[in-house]
Amino acid sequence: LFSLQAQQKELDSGRKYTINEIKVTGAQSFNEQTVIAFTGLKTGDRIYIPGEKLSQVTKKLWEQNLFSDIAFYVTNLSGDQVDLELYIVELPKLHELTIEGVKKGKKKEILKDNDLKPGVKITKNLLNTTKNYITNKFKKDGYFNTNVVISTTPYVDSTGVEVSRDMKIVVDKGNRVKVKSIDFEGNEQFSDAKLRRAMKETKQKNFLRVFKRSKYTADGYAEDKESILKKYKSNGYRDARFVSDSLKIIDDKNVALNIKVEEGDKYYFGDITFLGNSVFTDGQLRQVLGIKKGEVYNGTLLQERIADESSPDAEDITNLYQNNGYLAARINPVEVAVRNDTIDFEIRIIERNLFYFDHVTVVGNDRTNDHVIYRELRTRPGQKYSKRDVVRTIRELGQLGYFDPEQMSPNFKKVDEANGLVDLEYSLVEKGSSQIELQGGYGGGGFVGTLGLSFNNFSLRNIFNLESYRPLPMGDGQKLSLRAQASRFYQTYSLSLTEPWLGGKKPVQLSTSFSHTIQYLFDPRTNDTDRDRSFTITGGSVGLAKKIKWPDDFFVWSNAISFQHYNLRNYNTGLFTFGDGYSNNLAYTIGISRNNTATNPIYPTSGSDFSLTAKLTPPFSAFNNVDYGALSEDRAVQQAIIADPNSNSAQLVDARARISEIDQQRFNWLEYYKIKFKATWYTRVIEKLVLRTNTEFGFLGAYNKDRGIPPFERFFVGGDGLGAFSLDGREVIQLRGYPNQSLSGIDGNTIYNKFSLELRYPVTLAQLASIYVLAFAEGGASYDGFRDYNPFELKRSAGAGLRIFMPAFGLLGIDFGYGFDPILGGTEKNGWETHFIIGQQF
Amino acid sequence: CSEYQRVLRKDDVAKKYAMADSLYRLGKYKKSLKLMEQIVPAYRGKPQAERLMFIYANTYYELEDFYLAGYQFERFTQAYPQSDSAEVAAFKSAKSFYELSPRYSLDQKETDKGLEKLQEFINQYPNSAKRPHANELVAELRYKLEKKQFEVAKQYLRVEDYKAAIEAFDNFILDNPGSEFRAEAFFRRFESAYELAIVSIPSLVQERLLTAKGYYNNFTKYYKDTEFAAEAEKIMQDINARTVTTETEPTT
Repeated sequence: LFSLQAQQKELDSGRKYTINEIKVTGAQSFNEQTVIAFTGLKTGDRIYIPGEKLSQVTKKLWEQNLFSDIAFYVTNLSGDQVDLELYIVELPKLHELTIEGVKKGKKKEILKDNDLKPGVKITKNLLNTTKNYITNKFKKDGYFNTNVVISTTPYVDSTGVEVSRDMKIVVDKGNRVKVKSIDFEGNEQFSDAKLRRAMKETKQKNFLRVFKRSKYTADGYAEDKESILKKYKSNGYRDARFVSDSLKIIDDKNVALNIKVEEGDKYYFGDITFLGNSVFTDGQLRQVLGIKKGEVYNGTLLQERIADESSPDAEDITNLYQNNGYLAARINPVEVAVRNDTIDFEIRIIERNLFYFDHVTVVGNDRTNDHVIYRELRTRPGQKYSKRDVVRTIRELGQLGYFDPEQMSPNFKKVDEANGLVDLEYSLVEKGSSQIELQGGYGGGGFVGTLGLSFNNFSLRNIFNLESYRPLPMGDGQKLSLRAQASRFYQTYSLSLTEPWLGGKKPVQLSTSFSHTIQYLFDPRTNDTDRDRSFTITGGSVGLAKKIKWPDDFFVWSNAISFQHYNLRNYNTGLFTFGDGYSNNLAYTIGISRNNTATNPIYPTSGSDFSLTAKLTPPFSAFNNVDYGALSEDRAVQQAIIADPNSNSAQLVDARARISEIDQQRFNWLEYYKIKFKATWYTRVIEKLVLRTNTEFGFLGAYNKDRGIPPFERFFVGGDGLGAFSLDGREVIQLRGYPNQSLSGIDGNTIYNKFSLELRYPVTLAQLASIYVLAFAEGGASYDGFRDYNPFELKRSAGAGLRIFMPAFGLLGIDFGYGFDPILGGTEKNGWETHFIIGQQF
Repeated sequence: CSEYQRVLRKDDVAKKYAMADSLYRLGKYKKSLKLMEQIVPAYRGKPQAERLMFIYANTYYELEDFYLAGYQFERFTQAYPQSDSAEVAAFKSAKSFYELSPRYSLDQKETDKGLEKLQEFINQYPNSAKRPHANELVAELRYKLEKKQFEVAKQYLRVEDYKAAIEAFDNFILDNPGSEFRAEAFFRRFESAYELAIVSIPSLVQERLLTAKGYYNNFTKYYKDTEFAAEAEKIMQDINARTVTTETEPTT
């Protein structure tokens, strides 16, 4: 560092010199005075040259990590006066960094872990560590042939001075190595193949394996080693361990693993005694433990039966105590003796006292009123402490949809051991629970606009309280939906309100709805709307639904009364043979359903959903003294006249008018009954892959054969199943792979059935958006009466699709379905159909 | 382009201060606030800052942005504990939290904070002219917390979870010695105990009626002359009737 050779002979190392002048050379961005001040040297100082002082200064400068070269020169020497020159080469600063060959996320990681921010000094060390870091990082993921090249180029400012350097990192990951072989040594109890099977992440190369590629990653390998030990341990080899393991690089593409194990002896459970239990008998505890003397020793199982960390509501001994009030109970398994291959256990239990809930509070409800939350609590003051109840409360509060399920927590505020009291606080975080739908589209000869609002946590009693509008009265747990749709020739308005706890006493749900639709005659050829000719439907419904405890507490019993009034003003529809007139549809619906699907309503992974409903109108024909038999005969006569080619025009007009008259009489009050059954099962196949099995059946019948089944309330099968604009209470049944409603007659059918299998796999189930992909196979058909009914004559289809659920928008989806059968009236198979799914939840 | 816009855009801090001050005096708080937001950092630590910080906090207060008002007044009292305005600031800081306190049926963390701040004010300025007002506010917030706890207890009674109701009223009585709801709490506890007794399995009815009687005695001891007395009396008569019938026909 000291370049004093030129003057070496003139300098006397044992002598002090006086500094006459100090100069700094080579510094580009540092002020000379700043550097001199930093060295602490000044003109007039007397120092040894060479000597300790200069070494210190040099060291201090090096430690700044700012320079790549530091040297002192004596430029002039006269007597004991020296002129010093400090030559420093500044390290280049990083100006801009580009990384090639890695993905964005990895890039960020590299930048962060190596602190590669602009302005950082580019040292040899930095280059080396960065390079090693990247190489190792990819090696860990199985890229053993990663090549990293780092180059720097000067960055020149506008005056032509090099102020910093640009850095470029080029990464060539190369190919991932595969594992050519995994060999074991020392294994006698399990074959190599069995141990390999225990390794879930690291697999040997094999042509026959399709789903899992062979690859090597450090993390995966470490995990697999744990799995091997676990396999041994759960089979009684509690001393099993690895003696050594090595990874051999065979060539660019292959590595070989060699694992040496020491199995140790096989152990068995010996006597298991319980100590300190007074609440539960040995027999009860033994039953929960489920481990008998003489069984192969399994440490993992023992731990799980005592306290299963993986599931909060597992059936283990800890929870046996926790669910029965023993909050402070401790359970410790202790090995008390090892006799040859048998291990005796003592399960030591400290029960402590019973705990009861004292204060139970809720915090974090900034919008939702207390009463909406407290009525859902399963843990109430004075009750015995139970972990199961706490867990279920959290689950059920999550299902309300007002709070973020990920941020809920039960906190024990005060645990009073002496009195056995515990204060519990539920900490919640409100989340948005309203949905807005605003749509505009072009269809049916004009612009169609839709505005839909749905508030899931509405407060009806505050509707006239202006102060509570923030932006709407919220917090009483009522659901209010408003929807308006309008185009040039029709308008429809609907409103519905649901109160889940009518009267606040019991969970009896009251739902009311009202809707009004008006359709004007529209001529698509002239593109004109005739406002004097219209078809109006006004209706409403009131329903009560109640949870019932029998046969189990997932059942809901529901009742509803609905009424619709149809009014025709010189408007001919396919529904009626009369163009002026009215019809009323008064019906009572009774239903029973059971839903225990769990746990995410968007993506259920288990449970089932059944519903059976019957919709009945009063049997008017039984008491209104109309002779429908005579009418029916009359109608048949009139129809014969119409069908007769010899009828003259006057006769035809008369016959048609008479039929209209008869039909008005038949349909003034609609008379029918409708039975529907629907069942859906959700089964987890593996991991998150879920199978949804669904079957549906519907039947529409008449009490009075002569009066007949009305043209309303019929089933229309086919297509996306979205409840399209409909006037007649029709039931639109989804059957993908076919155009909408293409599998039923123009007036609909009276019987249908449908079977569907759907496999679903989630891409993400995050709070912001839940996305899953699906593949389906389904079949269904509709029939006109039981004479036609044949449950095996189905229209079949299969396909795949995608669903996205966002809390603010509801469900969006697309399905591609292939119809294997012809549509009604067709002869060739239908082929591909694309369906867009909006807002439908199932 | 108005004078205000010109000053707003310029860098002249002194002018901004002067204009902000005059606007503040005129009650044009929104305009004043815009100017103040720009100059507050510049004045920090300077002699004018005391007044500026005060009117800054008060502007938020006047604009009913109580979150920021509470916070800024709190900062002011910490920065200028000797100031003449410290007392007003301390009071307004507490009052801001009082204003933030939501209706009783929601989370009450602002209420707790308001109570804490008001109590601090009362302790620090025991002779303040604002003290009676502060005490009123304290009473109001306390009332809110009491009502919250009381309504939750009443809800347990409404959903017919009588055991939880008894426990919750018990807790309420213990936790709120001076509450207005005390009389009703005593009565409702008695009512809950009575309802629990009469829906119990036969073997427990007598014992639970006895417990209810105990609660009745507690009630009459303190609140015999309240509006609930008549109803309590009616329930008590029913209890007596039920106790008598079983005494004359002892169960075997």
